[in-house]
Amino acid sequence: MKLAILPFVCALAAWAQAAKDTEWPTYGADLANSHYRPLSQIDASNFNKLEVVWKFKTDNLGNRPEFKLEGTPLMVNGVLYATAGSRRAAVALDAATGELLWVHGEKEGVRGAAAPRQLSGRGLAYWTDGKEERILYITPGYRLIALNAKTGALVPTFGTDGAVDLKLEDDQTIQPDLTTGEIGIQSAPVVAKDTVIVGASFREGMTPRSMRNNKGYVRGFDARTGKRLWIFHTIPMKGELGYDTWENGSAEYTGNTGVWTQISVDEQLGLVYLPVESPTGDYYGGHRPGADLFGESLVCVDLKTGKRRWHYQLVHHPLWDMDISSAPLLADIQVNGRAIKAVAQPTKQGFLYVFDRVTGQPVWPIQERKVERGSVPGEWYSPTQPFPTRPAAYARNGISPEDLIDFTPALHDQALTLVSRYKIGPVFTPPVESQSDGPLATLTLGTASGGTNWPGGSYDPETHTVYAFACNSCVTPIGLVHPPKEMSDMMFVAGTAGQEVRMRTGPGENSGADSPLPTGSGGGGGRGGRGRGAAAAGGAAAGGRGGGGGFGGLTVQGLPLIRPPYGTISAINLDRGEIVWQVAHGDTPDAIRNNPALKGRDIPRTGQATYNVGTLITRTLVIAGDGQVTTTPQHPRGAMLRAYDKATGKEVGAVWMPAPQSGTPMTYMLNGRQYIVVAISGGAYSGEYLAFALPPEER
Amino acid sequence: MRRRAMLCGVATLAAIALAALAAAQESRSVWDGVFTTTQSDRGKALYARQCASCHGDTLGGGESAPPLVGDGFLANWNGLTVGDLFDRIRVSMPQDDPGRLTRQQDADIVAYMLAFNQFPSGQADLDTHSEVLKQIQIRPK
Repeated sequence: MKLAILPFVCALAAWAQAAKDTEWPTYGADLANSHYRPLSQIDASNFNKLEVVWKFKTDNLGNRPEFKLEGTPLMVNGVLYATAGSRRAAVALDAATGELLWVHGEKEGVRGAAAPRQLSGRGLAYWTDGKEERILYITPGYRLIALNAKTGALVPTFGTDGAVDLKLEDDQTIQPDLTTGEIGIQSAPVVAKDTVIVGASFREGMTPRSMRNNKGYVRGFDARTGKRLWIFHTIPMKGELGYDTWENGSAEYTGNTGVWTQISVDEQLGLVYLPVESPTGDYYGGHRPGADLFGESLVCVDLKTGKRRWHYQLVHHPLWDMDISSAPLLADIQVNGRAIKAVAQPTKQGFLYVFDRVTGQPVWPIQERKVERGSVPGEWYSPTQPFPTRPAAYARNGISPEDLIDFTPALHDQALTLVSRYKIGPVFTPPVESQSDGPLATLTLGTASGGTNWPGGSYDPETHTVYAFACNSCVTPIGLVHPPKEMSDMMFVAGTAGQEVRMRTGPGENSGADSPLPTGSGGGGGRGGRGRGAAAAGGAAAGGRGGGGGFGGLTVQGLPLIRPPYGTISAINLDRGEIVWQVAHGDTPDAIRNNPALKGRDIPRTGQATYNVGTLITRTLVIAGDGQVTTTPQHPRGAMLRAYDKATGKEVGAVWMPAPQSGTPMTYMLNGRQYIVVAISGGAYSGEYLAFALPPEER
Repeated sequence: MRRRAMLCGVATLAAIALAALAAAQESRSVWDGVFTTTQSDRGKALYARQCASCHGDTLGGGESAPPLVGDGFLANWNGLTVGDLFDRIRVSMPQDDPGRLTRQQDADIVAYMLAFNQFPSGQADLDTHSEVLKQIQIRPK
């Protein structure tokens, strides 16, 4: 009998060893936003054997399906938490099976319908004091919700009945009223040392309704009570540092300048890193003359007080919608034998800005260089802009004739003819007033949808390497026109001469489960009704970018104006400030591979022009899905989830998915099994979380 | 007996004809002139009012809206059918009030999208029934 027990004990010991769970407790894996977990069960030898172990369709989490699922779930204690659906419901799933454990949705009525950033958002946050566990997320209507992580029930002691109205206690009166006042957010809140940090987002900024808007301040709240702890004014108030960078008192009325993307925190240093977006008017700053601090600045504030510790403005007087679009990456590196606690900031403009995160000093010199002064009436131009000297830009951020399609001389000539109606130039080439006889606009790369957008980069603490996807060919034409007075009081908004000036709507605007805005609504200030469970009624759906394409529709015989590679993943070593490798990410699009004009030509993999690809790092792999669907001799119509050797960039595996990756993948270990979960959606395919793992015989 | 044989023959011929028709329908694609210019002109006016604020005047897409032209459009729709595209529009567009437009209006807008992508026009309008439109493949030439 004793003999029989021994193997059993051994087996238990082995199981306990294998079963060491690895969690994913915050949006970016950790507060450094590394998107890294040192897991190795899934590796180059078996990636192709991954299989879908469960999937979670999000259609019924709202009254219409959503085609723009951007979330990255959390995994804590065997439970997966995510936002999903056109209602932006919070859900808890069994992390091994995908079984729905609970769901919570908030019906916000007119407030939800008027929200600038609707749909499912990017995620949520987890908090525990060792006993109690909470899930925190922000509704489209800009309310911070605290739920019991075990049951999904509202936490009655948090805020008012489990919610904090984020339109209040914001050191400003949200205009025009609490219900319809423009402010919201789509990113996940961040929890660090019992403080919940919340940013702000607004409508799309290409065609503002007014030069005046609400401001995107950043605040810290007590994770236990919901009480506001601190606020940081991203547009300084009178007497605060930076106020005088807004000439003619423009700090008083200019708005936006929020932090709409993910925030990073160093809990040991007690410092928070805020990537601040553009001020009101993405492409016209004549109503806000001056450098406009802290617009498009990386700002470091104290975790306890919110007080500014240092800042660095990446773009003076922003005119290109560069924002800072993704989480700062916290990286402990060694440069010339010196240990540096660094922060590396990927950007739309393809520069990786690297600073000492304690002092704010650049790790490698950043030079102020003269840039072209534009000629748009009323505009204010910064004479210089900062240029990092190291590492080199990892994505295109300007357009020259050499960047145009060159599969054949004829295609290149056609591209030159097309481009002749526009202004082109290097990074920071200024926008133009659109003219019918040219230039219609400044053609730009590395602006609105270029480089690295909201999914951000990843950081590998083992090799001190940043991995980042970048769109290398997402062209944005920036032309300015006078808007009709009834549309906006701005002197200029985005538009094209000879075409009707149109108010451009932004991601998720008017498309969530509370839309449409009822006719004649407005006013009031009440809180929307609420209910457990997201309503599931038929019909309707939400907009979504899905796979593919840059802005503008500027194509040559249906082919992209810009030459490949269209999208890349770069590995950038931070000890040396060097790009180690760069690969085209994603299959060559069907329209190029099958184009009769290119028949017989050997075109290397082009990668894909998309801006919603994020990367996941494990012990040996960089993992990312295609942003577009293709049909190739190697696979049926679909998008591939790919694995690259993180040392070399060599592709070592790929598994099929029915739709493009639309949210950054995450991974965890549970009961001896490694899982990869990724959000997919786009085109005709509505939002779904897919979970991959190895079959038992491969583990 | 003779009558039965004749009936049998007619049935066989009918079956062959139906199969041929089905085969012809299966092989239909956006390259076969599946809309008229009159219809795409109607669609153009509708597009300007209903779609352009997100997808842009040149169908190039925007931050929230996919491109409806060129390789970006084909990336989403190559290998699917006009019916799939039509249904996606029916269920989700315009995004501020999905389902507001009639089937005819949606079909007209799809015709405009096809015309803008330089697929050829033909003699008959696009149908307004998904089942019929699902017999038309979207593919690059």
